[in-house]
Amino acid sequence: MNMLLHELRVYKKNTIIWSLTLSGLVLLFLSMFPSISREAEEFKRLMEGFPEAIRMALGLSVESIGSILGFYSYVFLYISLFGAIQAMLLGMSILSKEVREKTADFLLTKPVTRNQIVTSKLLAAFLSLVFTNILYLGAATLMASYVETNEFSIKIFLLLSLTLFYLQLIFLALGIFVSLLIPKLKSVLSVSLGMVFAFFMIGAFASTTGDDALRYLTPFKYFDFTYIIQNSSYEPSFIFVAIGFIVIAILASYYIYAKRDIHAV
Amino acid sequence: MNVIEINGLTKYYGKERGIIDINFNVEEKEIFGFIGPNGAGKSTTLRTLLALIYPTSGGAKIFGKDCIKHGPEIKKEIGYLPSEVFYYDKMNVIDLLNYSASFYKKNCSKRIKELAEIMDLNLNKRIDDLSFGNKKKVGIVQGLLHEPKLIILDEPTSGLDPLMQQRFFELLQEENRKGSTILFSSHILGEVQRMCNRVAIIKEGKIIQLEKISALQENNYKKIRVQLTAALEQNYFNIEGVSNLEANGNVISFLFRGNINLMMKKLSEIEIANVWVEEPDLEEIFLHFYEKGA
Repeated sequence: MNMLLHELRVYKKNTIIWSLTLSGLVLLFLSMFPSISREAEEFKRLMEGFPEAIRMALGLSVESIGSILGFYSYVFLYISLFGAIQAMLLGMSILSKEVREKTADFLLTKPVTRNQIVTSKLLAAFLSLVFTNILYLGAATLMASYVETNEFSIKIFLLLSLTLFYLQLIFLALGIFVSLLIPKLKSVLSVSLGMVFAFFMIGAFASTTGDDALRYLTPFKYFDFTYIIQNSSYEPSFIFVAIGFIVIAILASYYIYAKRDIHAV
Repeated sequence: MNVIEINGLTKYYGKERGIIDINFNVEEKEIFGFIGPNGAGKSTTLRTLLALIYPTSGGAKIFGKDCIKHGPEIKKEIGYLPSEVFYYDKMNVIDLLNYSASFYKKNCSKRIKELAEIMDLNLNKRIDDLSFGNKKKVGIVQGLLHEPKLIILDEPTSGLDPLMQQRFFELLQEENRKGSTILFSSHILGEVQRMCNRVAIIKEGKIIQLEKISALQENNYKKIRVQLTAALEQNYFNIEGVSNLEANGNVISFLFRGNINLMMKKLSEIEIANVWVEEPDLEEIFLHFYEKGA
């Protein structure tokens, strides 16, 4: 419990800044919706001028841009990119920073098991993401209701928004796992950004080819918004892959951390 | 009763040697010194005892329990001071110490205040504003605040000024009187001689000597350098107990072991410009042990 509180305190500022960034981002994007929906016809014509491959890579579907859900699907791509970066950075740093900042000796000579340490840190990271998503959900839902004058399904809107949380959990697990694979991780930022952008590009590529197999390679494509809007639910096979990946990455992280030597500085 | 029992402890880092077949025991209420040059394996041994690293083979028992398997349990009664202390930079000293105390199920606030007073440590500063020596003091308080039964110190005095070293040693002796067992590593023979009942000497990963400190003191070497004003007959200092005799211009240096009064008389009979009498460093002592072993 003391470790959890300590971690929460350490990440407090970080969590607040990211929460405000993501919430601010969704407020900014959604505030553009009224003008775009008003000029929807014009906008569609403009969009049709773009080559189809580019539209698909950007996640633009011309027909739906005039509705809030369609518009949200489009801007969400960028929000999810930021969300993934937050989670990846958090995952990459939370276990490795003790070694990097050389405080591992302090923590590991206390009467606690290594599993307890991992659990506390995981829980702290999880709670940090929960906080971010509560704030985000609140901001997004309020803003969407404010800018969209027509009826729209709040349920679907929430289903879409919650994918941010799932995406973040996947990247959190990935970050923790990767940080343990690189024993002397020096630059969390560059490795994290590099990996997130790589997955993002694979996602853009998967969109242009429409290849379903490629979608399994990048968490950015696990949640297809067109499918969610049509079916009011997630695709089971991708949910399964996501949960499977998180469980395996976390279990592997526990295992690696428990076995590893903590070297003197 | 043995507080620490080390049996055939071996650690390789890949193919690189860490320590090889270390065996020694530390008895209850003993102050045990562990000396050797840098890279000999002192830290490796201590870190294995604390389950920071895992042995390749062999093992150790602390309070009669396996130090790896029962690590979390035995660490309740261990205080540890690493050779280089690093703490969460953004915390205040007092917050850090309270965080440290929160791992032990007892109230340590009184002890923290006492220790901070003894070590002259400002509790309200931020960790990253502290000098190296002051961080070391935080480490000392942090290691002792839960009144551990076993205190493990890795090169504890580096960074402390002589006055603080003195206070720190008094503090350790006080803890020892109250019943704590102390194991500490050092490469400074003097402090080990002053503090310890017994010592183990480690070199290149192996224990080469395990002795009572009284036995070591019989090997009371002095390193003497003399600057002469005039040339001197070459064998003037070549008396019994002198070794490593070297002349470099008008500076003569040698190791001396034996009755120091004889040497002082010898020195007083000649005209000299300067004289240095020093404790030999460990390497020189080791040379002696190697010669004895060979």
